[in-house]
Amino acid sequence: MRNGITFFLGLFCALGLSWGALVVGTRSQYAGIKPHYDDNEGDNFPQRPAGVAARGQLVYQDLGCAACHTQQVRRPGIGSDKERGWGDRQTVARDFLYEARPQLGTMRIGPDLANYAARAEPAGMIPDRLLAYLYNGHGGMPAYPFLFEKRKIAGERAEHALKVRTEAGYEIVPTGRANDLVAYLLSLNHKYEFPEAQPATHDKGEEGEKK
Amino acid sequence: MITTSTTAVAAEISDIDVSARRPLLYLIGSGLLWLVVSGIFAVINAVQLHTPEFLAHCSLLTYGRVHAAQETAFLYGWAGNAGVAIALWLLSRLGLTIFRGAVVATLGGVFWNIGVLLAVAGILIGDATSFPGLELPTYTHWLLLVSFGFMAVPGVLAWSGRKHETAFAAQWYALAALFLFPWFFSIAEVSLFLAPGRGTAQSVIAAWYAQNVYSLWLAPIALGALYYLLPKISAKPLPHYEFASLGFWTLIAVACWTGPRVLVNGPVPAWIPTLSIAAAAVVLMHFWIVWLNVRGVFATGGSVVLKFAAFGFASYLLVGIADAVFSLRSVARVTQFTYMQDALTALALIGSITLIFFAAIYYIAPRLCGRAWPSSALVRAHFAAAIIGFVVLVVALAVAGWVQGQALNSTASFADIAARTRPWLLVATAAQALLLIGNLLVTFHFLKIVACPREEAAALTFRTPVAMEASAS
Repeated sequence: MRNGITFFLGLFCALGLSWGALVVGTRSQYAGIKPHYDDNEGDNFPQRPAGVAARGQLVYQDLGCAACHTQQVRRPGIGSDKERGWGDRQTVARDFLYEARPQLGTMRIGPDLANYAARAEPAGMIPDRLLAYLYNGHGGMPAYPFLFEKRKIAGERAEHALKVRTEAGYEIVPTGRANDLVAYLLSLNHKYEFPEAQPATHDKGEEGEKK
Repeated sequence: MITTSTTAVAAEISDIDVSARRPLLYLIGSGLLWLVVSGIFAVINAVQLHTPEFLAHCSLLTYGRVHAAQETAFLYGWAGNAGVAIALWLLSRLGLTIFRGAVVATLGGVFWNIGVLLAVAGILIGDATSFPGLELPTYTHWLLLVSFGFMAVPGVLAWSGRKHETAFAAQWYALAALFLFPWFFSIAEVSLFLAPGRGTAQSVIAAWYAQNVYSLWLAPIALGALYYLLPKISAKPLPHYEFASLGFWTLIAVACWTGPRVLVNGPVPAWIPTLSIAAAAVVLMHFWIVWLNVRGVFATGGSVVLKFAAFGFASYLLVGIADAVFSLRSVARVTQFTYMQDALTALALIGSITLIFFAAIYYIAPRLCGRAWPSSALVRAHFAAAIIGFVVLVVALAVAGWVQGQALNSTASFADIAARTRPWLLVATAAQALLLIGNLLVTFHFLKIVACPREEAAALTFRTPVAMEASAS
């Protein structure tokens, strides 16, 4: 390698190729993804997250929830994502179209949360109960007491105070961050159907994933 | 005539080390301190995995935040500092030039460490981004990028002022690392923060970036060190050296395609992980060629430098094979989302990168300080702690990951999975603690060698004749 210029040009091209495909190529393909208009519902899906849920996603990111929870469901037949009730179909790129920072995650120390709201409702996970889980911890999940404020009851007990055990004369009140986080968790639901998320009818495997 | 030229060159080589002394000792020292910091975070994390309530009341130390802080301190604190020091030293030594730009590099190093400190503190108060490998809070990015540019200046000067027109393999690797990091870092900066891609395009770009940190930045520095140290210490030329450039270009051109394989089965267009899985198989070519070149590292005994290098190189090869095997869809359906990923990260970072960097530091520091390491007992203790800790950690996490993956694919409850993996996670915690002890020992030993006065007699023995320098490749 005598020639410095050739060397640098080589480096430039080598990284440039993968940059062109994986960064520029991916971005231009994503630029073409459009929301899906559902005739039955008369609306476009996915829908933009409500402001409070978008704020909650920032709390989710700041606490590092994605270190233990994924938000991506594999298609039925791979693992037991469907059997565990995490989702009837795989998640696809279009599901995350409007998310500022998709929290796909890489580890399943806790359950997948991609469709958390869909199973929370039938299980009776009202916001109060979810807040109590966050305050006390639940199963393997640690408590997040710093999302709550412990304060002396002045006059009457606050309406939104948690129904958890604490010192007499005190009450536990969720902070705005706790409420945002819960609103975010209870908004996670990919309930609509996309053509590309349908399982392949013939047993070719990969077809269902393609755009 | 011969004698004079040898003496002149010997003096020159020694001058290289004298001129490089302050900046490189500063970079290696701060790297080691970051390694200890990252080790403390790693122990906290390991305890939290089997005892989730550990330190949970403290908002600074949630599992996710500590995890990100640990990764950042390790990659940018330890590997960044030490890696740049090793790359600069290789380039000056092989370019046979006086270390120019020492002040600029030191200044860059100071600001780089301020940047990493800000980043770790920022992560603990919740400013981390959500991209693995790039958790650095956004406000530290430009500081880190600019200070990296300053740190790399002596490397560029040593390259342009090199005495041999033909460059050695160690020089290609070191220079490529210095050149490619700022480039792919700024691409990630633009595509993830300034003009973020839509939805999960960000996940693809982040996976591409994270792979590049390993394959195009840290691994080339480690390989450069291997290509330099082995012929230097064994005093034999490398076999099949004519293939070395092919090995180099396979790594640079193909490894950067392998990142998004972690998104297999994920919500991204299917061609992306498929291409990455194929690339992970193609890049095996690179591992085969470096094995042909550097396998002599397994044959030589005695020198602690080569012992570290041998373990590091063995894990480097294993990383290549493991990346190809564990990216296969049939294997990934079990190991995806499990501790197996942590085991592979440990194999890559604590194994190949850290062990080879240790080899280089054990070789470089005595030359910079002009004296031998003060205590051979400390060297042996560190070696034992580093190797035992590393092997036990990787095995424990791999078994935990396999158990966890099998259980996740059944309908076992999460309490059940936690109970089944708990014994292995306890072993992993012990391994992390052992690694931390080893890192404390080497940091203490390093501070000691820096503080001790030079030994002129010892310094003379390091002045190797130019023939050795040339046989480096």
